[in-house]
Amino acid sequence: MSFFLVLPLFVLSQTTPEPLINSVFSGTVTDSKTHAPLEGATVQLKGTTHQVFTDNHGKFYFKTGQKLPAELVVSYVGYETLETTAPGNGVEISLVQSSTHLTEVVVVGYGTQRRTDLTGSVASVSKSLLSQPATSFDNLLQGSVPGISVTQSSGQPGATSTIRVRGGNSISFGNDPLYVIDGFIIYNNNSYVNTGAANGPAINALSTINPSDIESIDILKDASATAIYGSHGANGVVIITTKRGKKGGTEISYSTYLGDQTVAKKLSLLNASQWGALVNDINVSDGKPKTYSDSALAALGAGSDWQSAALRNAFQQNHELSISGGDEKSRYLISGNYYDQNGIILNSGFKRYNGRINYERNVTDKFKISTNIFGSRSIVNAPFGGVYGNTTSAAPSGGFSSILFTSPAAPIKNADGTYNTTSALLSATNPIQDLLTTVNQTYITRVLANIAGEYKFTKDLTLKVTAGADLISSKQNYYSPNFAGSPAGSSTGYAAGGYAAVGNGTATTWLNENTLTYDHTFNEKHSLNVLAGYTTQAEHDETAVASAQKFTNNLTTFNNLASAGTANLPASNSHDQVLNSFLARVSYSYLHKYNVTVSERADGASQLGANNKWGYFPSIGLSWNVDKEDFFERFSNAVTSLKVRLTAGQTGNSNIPAYSSLPSLTPTNYYFGSPQTLSTGLSPNQLGNPDLKWETTTQYNGGVDVGLLHNRINFTFDAYYKKTTDLLLNVPLPLYTGYATKLENIGSVENKGIEIGLNTQNIANKHFSWTSAVVFALNRNKVLSLEPGVASYFPTAPTGLVSPVIVKVGLPVGSFWGYSTGGLLTQTDIDKGTPLLAGVSQQVGDRKYLPLNPGETVITTADKHYLGSAQPKFTASFSNTFNYDGFDLGFFLSGAYGNKLFNQLQQNLERPTLTTNAPTTELDRYSATNPNGSMPKATNAPVTQVTDRYVEDASYIKLKNISLGYTFAGSVLSKIHATKLRVYVSAQNLFTITKYKGFDPEASYYDIDNTKAGIDYGIYPSAKTFLAGLNVTF
Amino acid sequence: MKKSSLILTISFLTAAGIITSCNKLTEKPNSVVVASQYYKTAADATAAVTAAYNSLNSDPAGDFPMYGRQLNLLVDNNSDNQNFSPSNTNPDVRALGTATYVSANSRIQKNWQQHYYGISKANVAIDNIANIPLNQFADTSLKPRLVREAKFVRALLYFNLVRLFGDVPLILHDASTTGVTQLLAVKRTPKDSVYLQIIADLTDATNLPATYSSANIGRATGGAAHALLAKVYATRRDWTNALAELQQVITAGTFAGATGNYGYALLPNFKDAFQKATKNGPEHIFSAQFATGLGAANTTQFLSQSFTSFNTGVFPIDCISDSSVVQIFDNDDTRKSVSFYTTVYNPATGANVVFNNAYTPYLNKFVDYSLSPLAPQNPSGVNYPIIRYSEILLLYAEVQNELNGGPTADAYTAINTVRTRAYAGVPHYLALGLSQFDFRDAVFLERRKEFIQEGQRWFDLVRRGINPNTGNPYLVDALKVIAAKSAGIAAKDTLYPIPQVEIQTNPNLTQNPGWDGH
Repeated sequence: MSFFLVLPLFVLSQTTPEPLINSVFSGTVTDSKTHAPLEGATVQLKGTTHQVFTDNHGKFYFKTGQKLPAELVVSYVGYETLETTAPGNGVEISLVQSSTHLTEVVVVGYGTQRRTDLTGSVASVSKSLLSQPATSFDNLLQGSVPGISVTQSSGQPGATSTIRVRGGNSISFGNDPLYVIDGFIIYNNNSYVNTGAANGPAINALSTINPSDIESIDILKDASATAIYGSHGANGVVIITTKRGKKGGTEISYSTYLGDQTVAKKLSLLNASQWGALVNDINVSDGKPKTYSDSALAALGAGSDWQSAALRNAFQQNHELSISGGDEKSRYLISGNYYDQNGIILNSGFKRYNGRINYERNVTDKFKISTNIFGSRSIVNAPFGGVYGNTTSAAPSGGFSSILFTSPAAPIKNADGTYNTTSALLSATNPIQDLLTTVNQTYITRVLANIAGEYKFTKDLTLKVTAGADLISSKQNYYSPNFAGSPAGSSTGYAAGGYAAVGNGTATTWLNENTLTYDHTFNEKHSLNVLAGYTTQAEHDETAVASAQKFTNNLTTFNNLASAGTANLPASNSHDQVLNSFLARVSYSYLHKYNVTVSERADGASQLGANNKWGYFPSIGLSWNVDKEDFFERFSNAVTSLKVRLTAGQTGNSNIPAYSSLPSLTPTNYYFGSPQTLSTGLSPNQLGNPDLKWETTTQYNGGVDVGLLHNRINFTFDAYYKKTTDLLLNVPLPLYTGYATKLENIGSVENKGIEIGLNTQNIANKHFSWTSAVVFALNRNKVLSLEPGVASYFPTAPTGLVSPVIVKVGLPVGSFWGYSTGGLLTQTDIDKGTPLLAGVSQQVGDRKYLPLNPGETVITTADKHYLGSAQPKFTASFSNTFNYDGFDLGFFLSGAYGNKLFNQLQQNLERPTLTTNAPTTELDRYSATNPNGSMPKATNAPVTQVTDRYVEDASYIKLKNISLGYTFAGSVLSKIHATKLRVYVSAQNLFTITKYKGFDPEASYYDIDNTKAGIDYGIYPSAKTFLAGLNVTF
Repeated sequence: MKKSSLILTISFLTAAGIITSCNKLTEKPNSVVVASQYYKTAADATAAVTAAYNSLNSDPAGDFPMYGRQLNLLVDNNSDNQNFSPSNTNPDVRALGTATYVSANSRIQKNWQQHYYGISKANVAIDNIANIPLNQFADTSLKPRLVREAKFVRALLYFNLVRLFGDVPLILHDASTTGVTQLLAVKRTPKDSVYLQIIADLTDATNLPATYSSANIGRATGGAAHALLAKVYATRRDWTNALAELQQVITAGTFAGATGNYGYALLPNFKDAFQKATKNGPEHIFSAQFATGLGAANTTQFLSQSFTSFNTGVFPIDCISDSSVVQIFDNDDTRKSVSFYTTVYNPATGANVVFNNAYTPYLNKFVDYSLSPLAPQNPSGVNYPIIRYSEILLLYAEVQNELNGGPTADAYTAINTVRTRAYAGVPHYLALGLSQFDFRDAVFLERRKEFIQEGQRWFDLVRRGINPNTGNPYLVDALKVIAAKSAGIAAKDTLYPIPQVEIQTNPNLTQNPGWDGH
């Protein structure tokens, strides 16, 4: 990058040495490209310990007199350190941004490491991505680095995401990565905030964290990097470092954005007269008279658009203020944030208040203490509706999805403006009114605080002790008024006469980490870093839920359960879990050329079986910086850096709930007596397994990091193989045993893949620059074995339908299983004896099922076969940033190829009944006048088979973000006394190119359940958002 | 400065050490009861048996309870008495209303599961109570009584299973006590052996008390065991043993050989067999208990979700009658108005609302009229009768007819007693001089009228076997005449398919004839 170095003119012009005594020596440090002042840069007199920092105008002052010219060493994070000779006062020193990653320090488990010495696969999320507006930081991870895949469960603000690093290892449990926030380990457990009082999709515990507090995110992917986290490293580790103060003056920053969201896509449903015609056809097939005469059909007209009535334009705003600074001994940052996002579905939204303090102080030369504290309160208003739908009905009971099913012939409102509840086509309640009046809210209060003390016994030997706590408290409120159709226990608010539930949950995690680090370089050749530690973590959680029904009025809603007529049985729950660990790591580097890292962790987890509490997780990593070899010099013009990495290791997973290994009993009641009274029974509901142990993932990784043309092109390639054995598998038992499953260590899964990351600086000159990044990842997941003698099983789809998914040896987890179809049956087909589906009466105009093998006479379940998987063949993203003077333009495209979704919502909609609406695909149904239709004839008979029609290609390309910003020049800034001011407009989720018919090709109705990934049973539709914002720093 | 930093460091370390010094890996099960802590006292034994009864009126996952609708789907919805409602959106339920179900049908699977879960709970009770020392029981008769109650429940559930599925795995010990491994690869036990176990369990259960104290009403009695045993023998066409058991239940002095001293009798009004106020009366030999207003963990049944509004356009959620069943009643028969309704009083308007559409009349027996008709009916507190005394009388008539090559005077008396009650005390005697075949027909017709919605019809149609006039199973003939079911029904339907998941998890299980691949 040296050719971009702008050397200050006066450095070159030689002046006579001129001794100056007792006068001030000052200068400015600026960015070589933008000439913007750099605040907090270190200016050191070479050969002395005397150093000062630049202020917010980039100015530095040496108050004691110096001999000139002075030899200075100027350094600043993210810039190349410069040694220069300052001839006199008023010198401008321009620093060049370091584009090479190799001199960087990266955060690794329990410490940092020079990127050159790294053996493991560690990827950092780019700063430009992190600066995008988002509800929760997990929204920012998609496409950020190769090998991480993020699928939002739904478009609901504050909803959970499914996050996978290098595919899913486990079938039944724990595929989420481990999060480490400022050194504090977080097992994200969304059940901590979901007490069961409210319903609907789970609330995301990660959304309690303000994404703009985050300075950096590093993702540890291979065993060499993650094995130090042992039993929780198998799914990758996401290391989050929050922003902190820098040495220098006080900096005050304010940023804000305002946005407007609209639904990205609506489903195309029948209008009233189209629907009436469908009802008539069903009547005819039922042998009953038509419901609507021709004139009545015409009179129905377009009818009501229920879907649109449930949606709105939604406003969104974010404000944050931070103050930071520091001196030689202390650094601090204090920030506050208010975030408010209305949902595009009526009566839904997300709000967050957030505060953070980071502080560190060098108490003495040897003792440093630091603390990170954040507190937040989040409020989620979600549309009601069970995430798994109603177990006893195939129609989704969700507040929004039930609206899609509502007949367009039913008016939404009466003439007087009140909601219509009397239409024969409604079940006594109005779904829009249900949505508006049902309270379904979650309040989450979270405090995450830790204190660390570091004591340097010698220059090389440091003891670090950390104590921290993560306190999560949640309150959930639910009220279904006595006129609403929203769920109320096993019935509806209408049925229950009003139903209220309140739930409280608290989860407390204590963590103590004690590590000893020895870091020494011998003879300037042998760099040795040794880490040893003991950590212990205890988690305690409690929930209590109370509910009552039969309210004489709806005035006090959930706030006065005592005013109810009937109390339901309250519930409470509590768990304790402990993890104790010993860890050790040795990193050795010879000349920063040959590097080796060896680590070992021993973990003991309370929730495992009595006979197998402890697990041991070793790893080894080797890397070679080829560019540092002498023979490489001749290539160095073209190839700036080249590194080869090779690692192997084992990590674990014990992410099962407490008490999973114990044979436990559950209450089961009955009534006896006259009058009847409740009699409490107790019976086993879980088989014990004292041998329950760790799930182990063995991973091999090979990688190359290449920097070309003075690191204008950086290329990273990784290939890996992971095999997970002793799976913690809920082994399905025959139901006649009295138990549905038993938790055992059985079976194995493999993941293998390649990852490519490419960062290029296409153009870089004084006025214009253009950078691009490409991320590509390919993962192949396969079940290698299940319990002996069992080749496959169907995870129970709790919706009461034929399960569309299968877990089968040789197929990926999350595979779809069903029939192939080929249009509709014709008379010719039947005449020539085309095989028909067994057990179902099939006639002309019905769906034609295809046999697996030619010559079959009947289609049976043996003709079901693999129809694809929710796991993509590959994922990719492409981002670009253009800078022209003060303007910046960026866009970010992300996509996946080859992933399938089971469009269960469409399957349900395309099964017409006399009362529910259907999609416009039904217009092309078979009839005597439309014998070549694509949809079967309308009947009242049920044939709900899993077919290829509903396993849809969900490959997509999404423009996740496009933004245009302008950063004001110094002259404008000085007028408002600011150091930085940027204004921008951006659009998120502007378009999606996909063949998928549902709301969004990124859907995960069953949330984090790996075996049911890719079932779309009607999600909260996603929004496209237009934002305008500004960031200003004083 | 140096000193203070050392002190600071030490105090910091000490504090951190204290906070986290004693994190043990042993589990503290705060919120669950672990098996090793349990099955030690009489209260534990009682609770274990209560759990077995629970399988009759609840589902652990909140699904339809066995006797609150789940079984009804298989034996009433898939018969000539009921159809699925046009507004029902559950394809599996609809399949059971159109005889197009397959082995993956979740309702068939759920019935299988609920029966076996109940059997599992009964086995847990039987296995564990045996190990509780007798001195734990203040009343030493309690220990054997509890075991016999569990055996009664187990026998009832196996009796349903063997009739629904034929040969079934016979599991007599629970996986939590014996380990699950040996259960994984079992084969289906021939139904004759299953019946032997049912008979053995019920025979032991006949030693149960004839009556209970008021706090224990609803538990299985010795009379209930005899009654169920009679039904088992009748199903096996073991008429002699059936007669012997019936004579134990039929109140002494009413028929020749009757020695029953359980006080069983018909309630004067047919309606009272399905009222909350008259539940567990002299006619109710054994019932699944349902209650309203107990708030805490109230049971719900789904047999009477018949009106959620007075909107006549809204279809009842699930249970509608087939038009053929309404036509078998004449208007003097009180069972017609007890079994069906078309008119409901609307307290909000003070008007009677008449439901009249292609799918009416609606089914009435389990409607709880003590609840406001404005509210839905799933907390209905009407008990579900599993055996009523009228069935004993009809079985007696049937057995007499079978044993004697034609109806005896007692056979006529028995069936006419049931009929007279149905016609509100006005004698409507069956024509005399019927042949054995015609009398059999008459008995089954009477059973159809008497037991609408009571989980009998499909069993009755299957039990009759092949109709000599058509050569088809009676079941097929009966369903052929119903438009929605005619296309799907076939001889294979006289047994339900073994649920697909069971064969998947245990390939040793064979499928029933005609069901392979369905």
